[in-house]
Amino acid sequence: MPEPIQQLRDSLAHSRWNAAIELLRRHNPEEASKAVIALPFDQQRLLFRRLPLDLAALLIGQFPYFHAYAVLYSLNAPQIAAIISAMEPGERYQFLDALPEEAWQTVMRTLEDAHLEPAPVVAKPVEVEEEPASAVPHVESLPIIEARQIEKYFQQPEGREIQVVAPMDFSIEPNTILALLGPSGSGKSTILRMLSGLLSPSRGEILWHGQPLQGSHPNVAIVFQSFALFPWLSVLENVEAPLLARGMAHAQRHPLALKALDSVGLRGFETAYPKELSGGMKQRVGFARALAVDPEVLFMDEPFSALDVLTAENLRRELIGLWSKKKISTRSIFLVTHNIEEAVLLADRIVVLGTNPATIRANFAVPLAQPRDRKSASYLLYVDYVYKVMTQPQLQLAPPTPEAIGAKPSWQMLPHARPGSIAGLLGLLVDHGGEEDLYHVAEELLLEIDDLLPIVQGATLLGFATADEGDVKITSAGRDFVGADISTRKSLFREAALAHVALLQKMKSALEARSNHAMPVEFVHDILDEHFTETEVEKQLETALNWGRYAEIFSYDPESGSLRLHKAGELNVQDVPARE
Amino acid sequence: MRRLSRPYFSKTFSKTLVWGFVPPGTPSFLRDLPIFLAAFSVFYAFLAVTRYWFTPISPQSEIDLRPGALPGYAMFSVTRIAISYFIALVFSIAYGYVAAYNAKAERFMIPLLDTLQSIPVLSFLPGVMLAMVALFPRRQFGIELGSILLIFSGQAWNMAFSFYSSLKSIPNEMHEVAQVYRWGRWQKLVEMELPFAAIGLVWNSMISVASAWFYLIACEMFILRNQDFRIPGLGSYLQTAANAADTRAMIWGLVVMIGVIVAMDQLIWRPVIAWAEKFKFEQIAGSQVPHSSVLDLLRSSRVLPLVGRLFISPARERLSLFLAREWRDRPVDHRRGNAGRWFSYAIAVAVSIAVAYAAVRMSRLAASVTGSELRSIFVGGGATFLRVEFTLLLAALWTVPAGVAIGLNPKLSATLQPIVQVVASVPATALFPIIVLLLTRVGGGLAIGSMVLMLLGTQWYILFNVIAGASALPTDLKEVCGVFRFGRWERWRKLILPGIFPYLITGFVTASGGAWNASILAEYFRLNGRTFSTTGLGAVVSSAADTGNYPVLLVATMLMALIVLAINRLVWRPLYTVASTRFKLES
Repeated sequence: MPEPIQQLRDSLAHSRWNAAIELLRRHNPEEASKAVIALPFDQQRLLFRRLPLDLAALLIGQFPYFHAYAVLYSLNAPQIAAIISAMEPGERYQFLDALPEEAWQTVMRTLEDAHLEPAPVVAKPVEVEEEPASAVPHVESLPIIEARQIEKYFQQPEGREIQVVAPMDFSIEPNTILALLGPSGSGKSTILRMLSGLLSPSRGEILWHGQPLQGSHPNVAIVFQSFALFPWLSVLENVEAPLLARGMAHAQRHPLALKALDSVGLRGFETAYPKELSGGMKQRVGFARALAVDPEVLFMDEPFSALDVLTAENLRRELIGLWSKKKISTRSIFLVTHNIEEAVLLADRIVVLGTNPATIRANFAVPLAQPRDRKSASYLLYVDYVYKVMTQPQLQLAPPTPEAIGAKPSWQMLPHARPGSIAGLLGLLVDHGGEEDLYHVAEELLLEIDDLLPIVQGATLLGFATADEGDVKITSAGRDFVGADISTRKSLFREAALAHVALLQKMKSALEARSNHAMPVEFVHDILDEHFTETEVEKQLETALNWGRYAEIFSYDPESGSLRLHKAGELNVQDVPARE
Repeated sequence: MRRLSRPYFSKTFSKTLVWGFVPPGTPSFLRDLPIFLAAFSVFYAFLAVTRYWFTPISPQSEIDLRPGALPGYAMFSVTRIAISYFIALVFSIAYGYVAAYNAKAERFMIPLLDTLQSIPVLSFLPGVMLAMVALFPRRQFGIELGSILLIFSGQAWNMAFSFYSSLKSIPNEMHEVAQVYRWGRWQKLVEMELPFAAIGLVWNSMISVASAWFYLIACEMFILRNQDFRIPGLGSYLQTAANAADTRAMIWGLVVMIGVIVAMDQLIWRPVIAWAEKFKFEQIAGSQVPHSSVLDLLRSSRVLPLVGRLFISPARERLSLFLAREWRDRPVDHRRGNAGRWFSYAIAVAVSIAVAYAAVRMSRLAASVTGSELRSIFVGGGATFLRVEFTLLLAALWTVPAGVAIGLNPKLSATLQPIVQVVASVPATALFPIIVLLLTRVGGGLAIGSMVLMLLGTQWYILFNVIAGASALPTDLKEVCGVFRFGRWERWRKLILPGIFPYLITGFVTASGGAWNASILAEYFRLNGRTFSTTGLGAVVSSAADTGNYPVLLVATMLMALIVLAINRLVWRPLYTVASTRFKLES
């Protein structure tokens, strides 16, 4: 049995909780989480109640999602909320995203309850108004669909009226993807059906190009969560059916249907029946059917929820590709989803709904360029904001501002790679003619792909290599670096590091500002503390020190914990990292 | 032409018909030959039947007992069933459609359907026959139409109910697709509603046609106001043979009837079931797909696709386009104007007046029932009630063990299922004369005989459902019983009985309704000029129909409908709820 597991068991057997916590902190999160999972489930639960928040959040992020879910649910609501809030935004959304929809709903509800418990304030909708012109550029200002004070009641059998949608205003502008975000049962689908003309509102009115919706045929299409394909019609017949309804003769509708199928990559499946297709392909048929009618507004009702995570991601990418390359003539997309990061990934504008009855909690633009990077700080900032709006309705938060987004690069995360490893990778690339597939590199270096990635990221961060779709390619700067002798290498590394790594720039300028060109390492600790969890801070610091010492930007004395600016010509033997 | 030598031809042909096996090298014109032959025989049947229909009326056709006359009689009977089936189909679609989409109409149409379903077919006989003969007094057509309508009344209700509930269970999203893409009524019907209802309609059609055979005997030869009516057909042939005590003719008649039923199963139902598979509302392809060689034959034909391409597809395309454009161009605001509203009010008022008038007339008629008649009706109701329940018990006693044995043993099931199916397909009414003859020889009265007859008519429903239930028992549960070494009793109590319970209830519901309906034929029987009868509500109904005693017929029928409805509501429906909630095996 691996050592940490045994040690953890021993300390728990004697109820030495503090010792156990110390032990978990000493090891890296991956090992620590493995040790915890190896415990009997009851012990895990007991242990979790005693863990400090940050440690618990760290470990949860490492667990497989179902395990994380199970452990979390042995805690009470405020504890769950505290742990999830302490998670890093990136890890948090990955955890939430991987949850099945039902589990997702439970977690969100628990979080909301937990945050409401201490201060049972009635949630006031956050009136977030239009941001200044910096938001998405509006080509046309006239909305396609405008809803004015619409509400919806449903009649109960005993005559009681239940309000599912509170009065709200809504507009769907041209050239935008609007995401309506809320837990299920929040009336999202009802709103979609009212806006698309399937249901009429109990009160209020809906305008279509300024005209009342009733009595007109808006050109819309809907993509359904359940696909809603007709199993007895072939793929082609499914796509052709709406065109037939418009009175198009065969010669007209056939090429249109084929074109639509072509655009979603289903050419060659025309004669197949839906039950022969996978879930992802069925939804492609759903998209083709919707696109075939050239809708002005494309409504999507949780279109990716019935698909597995990978298929859904793939389809999202393709959709956004079609949309941003203007390959579809649809003028607006209205997306209903419960998935936070799906909304942030796709939408130009997000409307967050509160439940029971549906109210608008927030309505804000997401001025990020497409395609969006799930790892980028600005993306995470929005995910985190939406998460807070959804789970803590009593907070009145403002959406992230462009300045906050601009300030993001200071949060740049260093990949944990030693300079020697980076040099090794670059050398190998030169041997292979400058470009190689990541998997081949990993094979050759006998590394797991997960261990190789930080090295590749290090190389790309420094501008020595570029990575693209699974291939790494060396740059001319990288070639220079490989070809140089050891001292030139160091100066090249120094230039690259100071040009690209914000933390090292900051440390250098801070040291230069000091009269004695020295400072305690705690200073860096404090900078990092604001952005990372405790363990991540340690790792970031370790990497920064490693790079900085190799690049001879500063020297570091582990005994006193002080940093000193490197002076030209000074040779610091202890700083030269061991050869890898 | 050497290849068309007779042995080869007949071998290929019979194989094609019976097993549907077409040798791979068969020339294509040979493959299409059966299709041509079928088309010609249908055409010939049409000519022959219409020619006969417009002959002058002769209430008592002479029934020829020579075996050579049988094909002709079989053709008449099949035509009768086919025509009434198509009327029932059109009726079901129309009725189901209105009931499903018109909430106001639904409120009375569905209880009405329930009631109609519980009224025994033979109670309609006098009214329908007299009306039809009055309509066409000079031609055979009147009597024919009467018997067709009677068979219709045994076929229509379950199909209408099936179509209605299929429409009601169309998922909401499907309706939304149709609405958002602006499908017209026609497109909705042919691309959504009919396909969605297809499988239910096919199975219910099979049930309907089976019950048509059951009633055929009674509908082809009957006594009304002491007048003997007889129209040519298999049913009247069998009954005449029984009256003449001509065993040879009876056996011939039965053989031909079974042959026709089996052939219809092979040539019509199996291909239709296999074809309807594509309408299964599932998103994943199933592993076991019904298969029909006749359908394969039709699909490999060259003529049919040609006909489809040249005539059917263009016609369908034109019709769809025409209707779609009509729908598209109709004014958007199609809310009914005042005229429409007044029209529907007028219809409602007319219907209410008609109902009220009928109620008054019926109560007047019912009031003329004498006290002693009323007593015999109620006593009969009690007797038939006991008889039906006892019959169900008897049926369950042998079918449950047998069905479980067959269902749990795949080998046994493979060999016995086809046999059981053929045996069950013989309409019990065809066997009645034989059994009554036997009983009179043995000396038993109809009091016991009627239960044998009911048993014959109803046990199969229970047997088939038990077999289905037993073969659906999950393997893992069976293995649990094996692992824990459950004893025989424990195995029955813990697994088998709860497992088959929902199926058993379904079987009982159908069997109970069937037994009540069969009581009319089973409790009162005419053979060879003699009338056999026993105390029972069925006997009361039958004799009232025979003698033209309409007040008694009315009250007895109402009582029977009431009892059947009450049992359905008070016994079967609660049990059904329990079965579908507590004893449902989730897979």
